[in-house]
Amino acid sequence: MNILDRIAELDRRIIFLLIGLAVTIPLLMPIGLPVDITKPVKDVYDKVESLPKGSIVVVSVDYDPGSEAELYPATEAFLEHCFRKDLRVYMIGLWPAGPALGNLALDSIAPHYNKVYGIDYVNVGYKPGGMIMLLSLGRNVGDIVRADYAGTPIDSLPLGRAVKSASDMDLVMTLSAGDPGVLHWIIYFKARYGTPIATATTAIMAPQQYPYLSSGQLVGLLGGLKGAAEYETLVRRKARAVAGMDSQSIVHVLIVIFIIIGNIILVYQRRVR
Amino acid sequence: MLQVFGIWIAALLTLAIYSFLYKDNPFYKIAEHIFVGVSAGYWAVILWFDFTWPNLFEPLIREGNFIYVMPIIVGLMMFAPLIPKINWLIRIPLTFTMGVAMATVITQRVQGDIIPQLHATFLPLSGVSPPALLSNLLIIIGVVATLVYFYFSKEHKGILGVGAKLGIWFMMVAFGASFGYTVMARISLLIGRVYFLLHNWLHVI
Repeated sequence: MNILDRIAELDRRIIFLLIGLAVTIPLLMPIGLPVDITKPVKDVYDKVESLPKGSIVVVSVDYDPGSEAELYPATEAFLEHCFRKDLRVYMIGLWPAGPALGNLALDSIAPHYNKVYGIDYVNVGYKPGGMIMLLSLGRNVGDIVRADYAGTPIDSLPLGRAVKSASDMDLVMTLSAGDPGVLHWIIYFKARYGTPIATATTAIMAPQQYPYLSSGQLVGLLGGLKGAAEYETLVRRKARAVAGMDSQSIVHVLIVIFIIIGNIILVYQRRVR
Repeated sequence: MLQVFGIWIAALLTLAIYSFLYKDNPFYKIAEHIFVGVSAGYWAVILWFDFTWPNLFEPLIREGNFIYVMPIIVGLMMFAPLIPKINWLIRIPLTFTMGVAMATVITQRVQGDIIPQLHATFLPLSGVSPPALLSNLLIIIGVVATLVYFYFSKEHKGILGVGAKLGIWFMMVAFGASFGYTVMARISLLIGRVYFLLHNWLHVI
């Protein structure tokens, strides 16, 4: 049995171990590989930069703990940018667990900028109904939102009173892990009310968003942990996403090597047979 | 204290799940069963407190809005097949749901998806920079070739065959991009868990 046959029979647990080490070692000993900024991410950043002070940004937390690793860093980085720019954040969720994760991010970022709940930001919680809900939300927010996440009547909060329809929303940022999510916001909200939509999606969803970027239906896109790392770099916040980029790059190189070796073995075995 | 307890539980469950990579074992089974049970309980609470109560029973009971009796009646009709004699009643909620969904989806899909996407393929081939020209050409050829591949009313021979083969190449590139992003996504999830173990649990980074 030559070396190629031995590799073909390799215990898959060795591959798991190599991937695990390729992730863990760079986290323990960071290399600091550069994070290049791509245009879709820069476009989101520029859009936020262009908004005047006090503008209302709807942050739709459309993911759950299953996608937390990819989208939570983007949530924190985006909120930090909004609060730094003195924008008001109106948080909502199309996924049941989204607003709870959004609250974690608000609680970790808002105090650093002395932001006050109800005035500078509000979390209205999970709103079921998908497309029908979004169509109603844009027409009259009061039909959908009666209380905030904690049950406080929405009219008792200044920011709650300020958002009556889509015309009061200057930007929607959807942090999306599937359905309902970014497509619902584009097709049912942007198309009907014209509000600009930006998005941070899981990496799996990112390629599907490019047609909407090129058609102008999306302002910009943060694709997966890489997109979050780019945004962290732009807002000068070196946190979880940037820390993970060394591991990501090294594992990708490792996987490319595995693919090349796998293909060499495949060609070799075909010739032998 | 409660937070530390939560982190320990999460860390041990993470290790229990990853132990499956070595081989199936009781720790993995325990974690798997806890996940299923907690998910079911969590969804039950969410469906009642975030869905049914605020959207149906609160307006009905607290605000005395009796129009909300209608969705309850129509909703109960979904259970009609449980009684064979009134089985036919399920047609009412089903046709209502299908009618509303189709009306909403068809109008909005055309307005918000098909027309803007079609419009985005009408790209200029003159008066643009060479890189933009190349990009526009690729988009136009890619769209046309892929559509040709999905045209099944005539055999893919001659010019149609060339177009269909080109369409396959464009789709292969798209599948490759999707695969690359999928690998990135899965690794990101692993990074997230390892970061949690090293940062939140062990405090070594």
